[in-house]
Amino acid sequence: MIKLENVSLVFQGGSVALSNVSTSISEGEFVYLIGPSGSGKSSFLKLLYKEYFATKGTVEVVDMDVTSLPKWKIPILRRKLGIVTQEPQLLEDRTTFENISFALEILGYDSKEIEAKTSTLIDLVELHESVYKFPYQLSGGEQTRVSIARALASNPLLLLCDEPTGNLDPNLSIQIVTLLEKINRAGTTVLMATHDSSIVNRRKKRVLQLNDGKLVSDAAQGRYI
Amino acid sequence: MNKLSYVIKNTFINMRRNPLLVVATMLAVLVSSFLVFTTLSGRAVVENNTSRWQNGVHVVIFLDDRVTTTAHKQLQESLESYPEVRMVDYFSKSEATEEFKFLFKDQPELVQEVDFEILPSSLRVNLNDPADYQLIIERMEGNPAVKEIRASGEAIDRLLSLTNTLVISASVFAVLIAFAAFILIINTLRLTAYAKRREIKIMKNLGASSTYIRLPFIFEAIFESFVGTSIAIGLGWAVIQYSKGSVIAESIFDITISDAYLINLTLGLILSSILFGLVASFIGIRKALNE
Repeated sequence: MIKLENVSLVFQGGSVALSNVSTSISEGEFVYLIGPSGSGKSSFLKLLYKEYFATKGTVEVVDMDVTSLPKWKIPILRRKLGIVTQEPQLLEDRTTFENISFALEILGYDSKEIEAKTSTLIDLVELHESVYKFPYQLSGGEQTRVSIARALASNPLLLLCDEPTGNLDPNLSIQIVTLLEKINRAGTTVLMATHDSSIVNRRKKRVLQLNDGKLVSDAAQGRYI
Repeated sequence: MNKLSYVIKNTFINMRRNPLLVVATMLAVLVSSFLVFTTLSGRAVVENNTSRWQNGVHVVIFLDDRVTTTAHKQLQESLESYPEVRMVDYFSKSEATEEFKFLFKDQPELVQEVDFEILPSSLRVNLNDPADYQLIIERMEGNPAVKEIRASGEAIDRLLSLTNTLVISASVFAVLIAFAAFILIINTLRLTAYAKRREIKIMKNLGASSTYIRLPFIFEAIFESFVGTSIAIGLGWAVIQYSKGSVIAESIFDITISDAYLINLTLGLILSSILFGLVASFIGIRKALNE
């Protein structure tokens, strides 16, 4: 599903975000990407959906060679991925239903399909009571759920989550992780960046640890120490 | 089909965000297109008229009253021998009197006051190339039989020179306003794109292509440009129709422009407006897409 070989990312001005990172993630895995702030977690994820371009090495995602992928093919790659950011990035003037259906509209579904699929996604993220609420009427956890539902609109093979629990309290964080595990069990590969040690240590999943842009450990049932 | 409805819906949502800017843009396009349309139409009218005048008499040589019939015939034969000359007509004093009476038939007081004895006989010269009028003037100057020489070419040259100055001034003005319209479109789109930056970011993450994200902006720019130009063209046609029955048309100019010319001008302006909108939208949205 994901394969990185000797990948480095150096920004203009010389600051190194990633240095010689090599790893691979198989289909169906749930993997945590951990490390302190500035360790390169977001850069790692952004390389996967070609928001950033690797300076060195090769990146392969969902059978696509991302390194040599021309700019015009980036949308094709992204349609196979779901992207969840720390800020839910919801459209303030639209309800929960509209925020999710917006994604389906963009993907070209017709109105009947949009209606049906939006309802399914709302069921999945358990937001029945907030369907017609606007983002400012939702809690942080609910907003993250909407953002996850929207990311799932394209039936992605791989879900990339960049600190989705970063702004949430422990209880809500657990609920979000539980939801992501449910999505993973349904067949979607999940890679979640986080610096929340309590979640990582409790869930006993594979953990990739970054420090100063280097991959310092890769453990099957890792812990965040 | 659903994607198209998204694009159309969003085009109008975008325009609703900055209605004043949209109106300002359309007005700027309208003024610029109207100037282009009227300037080019006006030039065509002047060119039609001058060409018509150029097909008539090019040089009039007024003869001295003392000149004998033999002398005027010699002068006429000598003129006819020049390769530049196509035809020479003798116009006697009595013919000049009749012509004067005809031209001023609406002003009987003037006709009554004039002493027709002062009207000279003349030789009216038609040239193969109207631009050669200066050669005839040079050859006839100093001839004792010649009282005065008048060339229509001088007046036409002055008129064409004035027309060209007006065309250049109007074109410069039109280009300046078109540039202002261009900047306005870019600015309107940038404001809209800024207001929609979150939506654009989401669309990019969902895998929407750049073209798809751009389309509502392209449609908006083309729409604004097209509406402004269409109104300008409508006004231009109205001005031409009005001018045909105006005092100018009855006294100085024959306001005739071929339909083919006007249709070509209309199509050219509409195509230019579409191109104009396309280029402006590409520049306007480029930054928002690259962020």
